[in-house]
Amino acid sequence: MQNGPVQDELNALRASAELRTVTESIQDCAIALLDPQGVVLTWNTGARQIEGYAAEEIVGQGFDRLYTEEDRAAGRPQTLLAEALRTGRAQQEGWRVRNDGSRFWADEVISPLRVENGAVKGYVKVTRDLTRRREQWSEERTLLPVASVTDYAIFMVDPEGTITTWNLGAERTKGYRADEAIGRNFSMLYTPEDAAAGKPRRLLRRAQEDGRVEDEGWRVRKDGSRFWADVVISRVNDGNGKLIGYTKITRDLTERRRAEEQLRQAEERLRLMIESVQDYAIFMLDREGRVATWNRGAEHIKGYTAQEIVGQHFSRFYPPEEISAGKPERELELASSTGRFEEEAWRIRKDGSRFWANVVLSATRNRDGVLIGFTKVTRDLSERKRAAEETAERARQHSVAAELGLYALQTAHLDQVIERSMQTVRETLQIDDVRIFRAGESLPPGARTVRIHAPEPDAEYGFLAASASRPLTANDVAFLQAMANVLAVAMARSQSEEQLRRAEREAAEERGNTVRVQEALLERDEFISVAAHELRTPLTALQLKLQGLENSGGFPQPKAERLCAAVRQTERLARLIDRLLDVSRISQGRVEMAPEIFDLAILVRQVAEDFREPAAQARAALELQLPEKVEGSWDRLRIEQVLVNLLSNAVKYGAGKPITMKLEELGDVVRLFVADRGIGIATDDVDRIFGRFQRAAPIRNYGGMGLGLYIARHIVEAHRGTISVASKLGEGSTFMVELPRLSATAAAGRDKGPRARA
Amino acid sequence: MTAPGCGRTVLIVEDDADTRLALAEVLRDVNYRPLHAANGSAALEELRAATTAPCVILLDVMMPIMDGKQFRAELQKDPALSEIPVVVLSAHADLDSAAQQMQAAGFLRKPVELSALLATVEQFCGRE
Repeated sequence: MQNGPVQDELNALRASAELRTVTESIQDCAIALLDPQGVVLTWNTGARQIEGYAAEEIVGQGFDRLYTEEDRAAGRPQTLLAEALRTGRAQQEGWRVRNDGSRFWADEVISPLRVENGAVKGYVKVTRDLTRRREQWSEERTLLPVASVTDYAIFMVDPEGTITTWNLGAERTKGYRADEAIGRNFSMLYTPEDAAAGKPRRLLRRAQEDGRVEDEGWRVRKDGSRFWADVVISRVNDGNGKLIGYTKITRDLTERRRAEEQLRQAEERLRLMIESVQDYAIFMLDREGRVATWNRGAEHIKGYTAQEIVGQHFSRFYPPEEISAGKPERELELASSTGRFEEEAWRIRKDGSRFWANVVLSATRNRDGVLIGFTKVTRDLSERKRAAEETAERARQHSVAAELGLYALQTAHLDQVIERSMQTVRETLQIDDVRIFRAGESLPPGARTVRIHAPEPDAEYGFLAASASRPLTANDVAFLQAMANVLAVAMARSQSEEQLRRAEREAAEERGNTVRVQEALLERDEFISVAAHELRTPLTALQLKLQGLENSGGFPQPKAERLCAAVRQTERLARLIDRLLDVSRISQGRVEMAPEIFDLAILVRQVAEDFREPAAQARAALELQLPEKVEGSWDRLRIEQVLVNLLSNAVKYGAGKPITMKLEELGDVVRLFVADRGIGIATDDVDRIFGRFQRAAPIRNYGGMGLGLYIARHIVEAHRGTISVASKLGEGSTFMVELPRLSATAAAGRDKGPRARA
Repeated sequence: MTAPGCGRTVLIVEDDADTRLALAEVLRDVNYRPLHAANGSAALEELRAATTAPCVILLDVMMPIMDGKQFRAELQKDPALSEIPVVVLSAHADLDSAAQQMQAAGFLRKPVELSALLATVEQFCGRE
């Protein structure tokens, strides 16, 4: 280690008589030169006195032997050199060890020595012994006010633990008087358990080694009661650093401990209470917003266990959009600036689902007002919110349904009602796919369907089917049914209206037909009337002339016979015209009855007499079955017309077979039968033969206009009677006329002028 | 064929010429003296020009210029003519009520049977 230029420098330094004189004469300070490795190069008088080594004992040795074993083990000497090198100066107060092994309290400064080019040549170590100063300080602190201190028990023990001093505070705290305590071992102040475990000795040993030990624990008073004590034991050395005993300062912390215990218990109760709360998430955040505590309610509401969430930032309870908007931080700021922040908003559970939360965030500060964190109380209002929303939704749906119902009432067109209801369902339920299916159509799978009831029980018009991505609530389904009911009513109405319109159309057509038919009939009647009149005029001249010729006589046969036939034909022509006129009068309701009292039996005989010749020509025997006398009040000419018509029909259709005319009296009613055994009438034809221009028989075989029975019916009905027929095809027909003996018009006699017979 | 007419006058008021002539013919056959007119107006002239009043007037209803009803009204206004009986002769359906309305002494429905015609005329011209 005695190498080149450095050594030369040092030798030169050492050779400096002046410096040597200065350093060596200094007795208060130990001054030593160290080479870069810490080997002692010089050793002055102060060093010898303070540290106990002679120069020859230490020069050439490493300076680390001046340190305590602990410091050496910790590498402290080298650390100090390195620090000096780095900063230019290392100063430290601490224990150093003398040659004899005793310790002294030292103030030490180490500075590096550099040559001109900056390289390190070594170190200067200057060490002062501070033991004296330290002891003086210690004595002042210990001895002067100690006796009068009452708040602290201050006493000294010797190295074996025997009590040597006892102050007022000790007496007061421990209950022993000075004369009772001094001379006894301080272990009497410990609990038997601590004493048995060797705690007092252990504390002394630690104080001996470390200079000081502090302990908090139970101590025992003279009366056996315990108190919680804060104890500091300090080692006391004599002037040479030799252990002479320990000071022991004991403070009674019982009161503080009780208060702390109560506080702790209160806190514990509060903690237990908070932890057991299920309905509220109650937890704490640190100042930065990280979760610090977590209760069962928080776990229940948010889904995280304490293990999962404690230490995590609370922003994860917020929806992503709010996190990116910086809402969690803003809420913390608000809470810390105003003390409290409250809101209702969406929060996110562990599984990602949202819930509607009531949140109160309070800033928590310590006694000095320093923010230590936040308390957060969160309630899950989802149920309440959902219930409120459902109620509101239901109310809205009701009003929408009512509105649609009104619309359906005011709107005649089913298409419009359907379109509007589809739109209403889409808008109200926020779904895209809603359709109507007719009964029998296959419904889409997965759709929610409700029936559109038809008025008939167990029948439907169809179904209203809604497909939604979200599940439909009972509310929604009830709303759908309400819509379906509106549709059902609208459909039923539309159907009824359609039926009504059809019926009205048919009725109108029917009316139109009737009117046309009536008009046609009127026209025909008018035509008949006019035609009959027009025919009568020439017929008048013709008939008068023929009759005039016949009357004038003087015609030889066969001319006279031919003239006679011509007269008969004109008379027949006149009767046909009369009949036509009758029909037109009947259909115009212009027939008036002129009743008179007469014997119907006589009239029947007369008519039969008139028909003798045509009947004979038809080879039909006329059989009469008549009572003596059948009187009544009727229009003689009209009734005669009925008889003529019935009889001429019988002769026409019953040729070759006997014809029977019969009269019967039944109280106030008279019955007339005219029966033939001719061709008869088919059942289908029976009802229409009493109509105008109706004939059951084919026209090519039987002539005639088909007016006879029509006229007969009207005459009989004008007498408030009835006419009917019983007939079998091929077996003949029996006509029956039933007349009341006194027709209503019989009483209304009227002034009659002379009449010509038609 | 002795004539019951005894040359008494009968006025025929009828627009149809054939009918008018046929009526005149058959009445003349039984010795009446028929006057005739084609309408009411002509009939009034005939009556006022005649020296003897007819014992009956056979009156058609529907005629041009002056119809039967107008003629009858005119007749009733003239005291010299109002007493002459009138028999309405028509094919009209409501002949009897029309006859009453016109205060006719009787009516005959067209076509008129010769016997009925002669009986009616006899009824008015046979007395005196």
